[in-house]
Amino acid sequence: MTGGEMNELERPKARGLRPATLFVALAAVIGIGFLLFGGPAPEQGQPPQEPAVVISAPVPIAEFAGGPSGSGRGTGVGLVRETGTPGGTLNILLPREKDIRLLNVWGYARLVGFNERLELQPDILEKISVIEGRIFEMTLRADHRWSDGAPFTTEDFRYYWEDIANNPELSPSGVPDELLNDGEAPIVEILDARRVRYTWTYPNPRFLFLLAQAREPYIYRPSHYLKQFHARYGDAAAIAQMVEAEKLSSWAALHNRRDSMYDNDNPALPTLQPWMIETAMPAQRLVLKRNPHFHRRDDAGQQLPYLDEIVATIAEPSLIPAKTAAGESMLQARGLGFGDITALKSAEARGNYRTLLWRITKGSQVALFPNLNVNDPVWRTLLRDARFRVALSLGIDRGDINRTLYFGLGIEGNNGVLPESPLYDAELMTRNATFNMARANALLDELELARGADGIRLLPDGRKLEIVVETAGENAEEPEMLELIAKTWRELGIQLIIKPYERSVLRNRVYSGETVMSVWSGWNNGVPTPMMSPNELAPTAQDILCWPKWGQYFETKGSSGEAPDMPEAQALIELYNAWSAAQDDGTRAAIWKQMLAMHAEMQFSIGTVAGVSQPVVVSNNLRNVPENGIFGWDPGAQFGIYRMDLFYLKR
Amino acid sequence: MAKKPPPPAGPPVDPTQTHFVDEAPYDPRRASDERDGGVALPPAAKPWALFWRRFRRHRLAVASAWVLGFFYFLIVPFAEIIAPYAQETRNPDAIHAPPQALHLFHNGEYAGVFTYALRARIDLENFERVYEEDVTRPTRVRVFCLGDPYEFWGLIEMRFHLFCPDEGGTLHLLGTDGLGRDMLSRIIYGTRVSLTIGLIGLAISFVLGVVLGGLAGYFGGLIDNVIERLIELIRSLPELPLWLALAAALPANWPPIFIYFGITLILGLLDWPGLARAVRARVLQLREEEFVLAATLTGASPQRLVRKHMLPNFSSHLIASATLSVPGMILGETALSFLGLGLRAPVVSWGVLLNDAQDLSAIEVYPWLLLPMVPVILVVLAFNFFGDGLRDAADPYR
Repeated sequence: MTGGEMNELERPKARGLRPATLFVALAAVIGIGFLLFGGPAPEQGQPPQEPAVVISAPVPIAEFAGGPSGSGRGTGVGLVRETGTPGGTLNILLPREKDIRLLNVWGYARLVGFNERLELQPDILEKISVIEGRIFEMTLRADHRWSDGAPFTTEDFRYYWEDIANNPELSPSGVPDELLNDGEAPIVEILDARRVRYTWTYPNPRFLFLLAQAREPYIYRPSHYLKQFHARYGDAAAIAQMVEAEKLSSWAALHNRRDSMYDNDNPALPTLQPWMIETAMPAQRLVLKRNPHFHRRDDAGQQLPYLDEIVATIAEPSLIPAKTAAGESMLQARGLGFGDITALKSAEARGNYRTLLWRITKGSQVALFPNLNVNDPVWRTLLRDARFRVALSLGIDRGDINRTLYFGLGIEGNNGVLPESPLYDAELMTRNATFNMARANALLDELELARGADGIRLLPDGRKLEIVVETAGENAEEPEMLELIAKTWRELGIQLIIKPYERSVLRNRVYSGETVMSVWSGWNNGVPTPMMSPNELAPTAQDILCWPKWGQYFETKGSSGEAPDMPEAQALIELYNAWSAAQDDGTRAAIWKQMLAMHAEMQFSIGTVAGVSQPVVVSNNLRNVPENGIFGWDPGAQFGIYRMDLFYLKR
Repeated sequence: MAKKPPPPAGPPVDPTQTHFVDEAPYDPRRASDERDGGVALPPAAKPWALFWRRFRRHRLAVASAWVLGFFYFLIVPFAEIIAPYAQETRNPDAIHAPPQALHLFHNGEYAGVFTYALRARIDLENFERVYEEDVTRPTRVRVFCLGDPYEFWGLIEMRFHLFCPDEGGTLHLLGTDGLGRDMLSRIIYGTRVSLTIGLIGLAISFVLGVVLGGLAGYFGGLIDNVIERLIELIRSLPELPLWLALAAALPANWPPIFIYFGITLILGLLDWPGLARAVRARVLQLREEEFVLAATLTGASPQRLVRKHMLPNFSSHLIASATLSVPGMILGETALSFLGLGLRAPVVSWGVLLNDAQDLSAIEVYPWLLLPMVPVILVVLAFNFFGDGLRDAADPYR
């Protein structure tokens, strides 16, 4: 989005035609894809070579129906979707009550969202215009309504901005960081009932992606409902009474409790998502009903979503595979892992379902994170030596891991980007990530880590080189994988000890510097385009487990945490800032590649195997679920980009 | 006791005394002959012989003794030799391989005991590893052979095995796990850990229980009071949170077996009050029995009183409670490891093996991963029957 000229959000589509970009192999079907997804209804007959049309959201969205199919593996491009019949109840299983928020993720009604080809497209909005990369003018659909029938207008944006984000009681720490660009909050102008404008001084390339996230910031709220709990609008006596009745401390707490756009646990809160929660918490069986005012329609003009009702049953996590195999869920990915595929496949006939295999888009299925901010000074010095980290990486037999645990189907290499991404580079994926004991041993010898009597090397202060790897057991294959890693590391003279912790305990231990090394899944986004933020590759957040204190320093703008004191980390921050300021995709791609190269060279996190399959169990009666797909959080929103509102039950 | 009249050569009898001490050696056989009309016992029947005779009559207990003997005297000490593979040997070409059959006849001819080579194929349709026997390639099972190297008892480097696969062949009689390790060998190695580690906790709780219970019962008064209150205090401690806290507090770089050892130690230190109370009650009761009074009056020391007169009377109870706690300890290990609190890889125990088998695939696709349940059931049942037999045999009132 170059300066000066005014661009509408059809640009990503045009980009999709360039051979060097995302989903190269699928370029041939993009023309069809354009017809399938893209253009507004009146333009469907237009040839694809003129994509830079005036872009407004298709009204109604009339995509996915009919048309010839391609055979795209990975993103499900070229899907054939049928016109469905409305009605029916979908049963699913969730491991925790809290996971009901996932229905908001899967529903994936966003102001701007990704389509199946991971291109941005207006969704709730009728259109969005981007001027100079810094001014975002959004236009709402005419007569769009909340699930309770009240009109959805720019007043809902204003309410969020003025009365929530800038209310000192509701937002004590000010406007959420994610809306700041270079520390600067946007200017929000309400132009009329359907148009709102966000303006920053400098280009903000993150903003559209922010709106398209699985967990989006919800810059609009149902003001007609929430005002009754707000001190500025509501009846003071009524608010005081409710605060009293619920034993809360203030009206702000009451407002926060009612305003659970993401958590999805307030049946009274109006929503724009395809389904709305009906059951009050706590409950073991959660019922969601269709939103009668949902903004999407199929090409036959039928109101979406097709499914009338979703019933989520809370089940013990370890029982989810067994319950799924017994046919108790009609759409299940949560709680299922690679190791369950064989059993799920063998029970398909009995449970009347199919087991689809979607590709997980994490940078690595399991990655080791040396904590560069560990408190122990001896360990800190050692872990910060790139030679040591490289030696650890070279001492992992990824081929064996892949064959043993993943039938050899995964992609062996660094915690990086997958072939689906335009930034993929095969050499970077395997640099310093091939099994090479001789080189690893040589590096360790170079570090003067002498071996003790039992063959275990000694730290400079005489302690044994025992790496306690702390795990939260996020991934079912972790124990076996760590056993395999321990075996080869043992030959290098390094003892790997596994210590399990509860998830939040583990995070806190990492943040405080007690943990030497932790294990987690790799980068969330393994299929980035140059436009997507490389924030995971730089110390920009506390929850990146290799540099929690530097990340905290960045997040808090220096008020807590530690300033990065390693030149490579400073360089990454600079690159990240350069990416934020970059004006064109070429520069952004170059920065991405530079950061990926640094990671491969420095092994800040040690990847294992990526591109592993996620089993997605789909009832034989449930239609319009793509056979192949990607399974990711950001981008992807799991089922989100595949438009769960189009799934229907064949009767 | 004093049934016989004093011999004439004895000391003069003081008619004012109500009892006297006979200086002649006491002959229990003659005494019991007199009591039972002279036919009850065969010559030279010592208490142990009696015990043995009664025990042998309990056939289930004898069978259980053989089972336990097999486990404790053969498998536990000679695990490395009996197991065909070493504990950590991986066969990357036989991951999740099902149990292999032993054959005798190849092409209609007797060919000794052999297995067919495994041929593995990945079926991507069903996402399964399919194993087929290559019936053209019989591989003999070798006996008294050199195979995987190991350190016998962690000391002597050896390669000798009771039986092992042929060079290039495989011998997975109970299948393999997800990393391609032989299940039979792992179960055998697990036997050593599972059967021995609980004994330490048991020994601690047994000694503490008998000593403190005996003291409380025998002396009574202040000692009894103190011990009783201590027992109440210990019984009121919640155990599971304590284990959880311990499991978290023990340093991670300890070998996992030490951690578990620590847990059993604590377990033993917490487990004695039950036994102590039973012992105390028995001692309290026996203390007042007439034969104890008689022994006291004949000048027996407290030590002799407890050992010779009281202990045999409640030894049946002790034996029963000891043998019945061993399976408790084994199940405890299995349960704790199953939950991930007890032993952890790389240590192998039955509980650790079962912990690996706690998902859907183990039941649906790889049922042989559940085989470690068999020895658990076998040993626990054997201990129960054995304890039963011992109690019956040691009970003097039967």
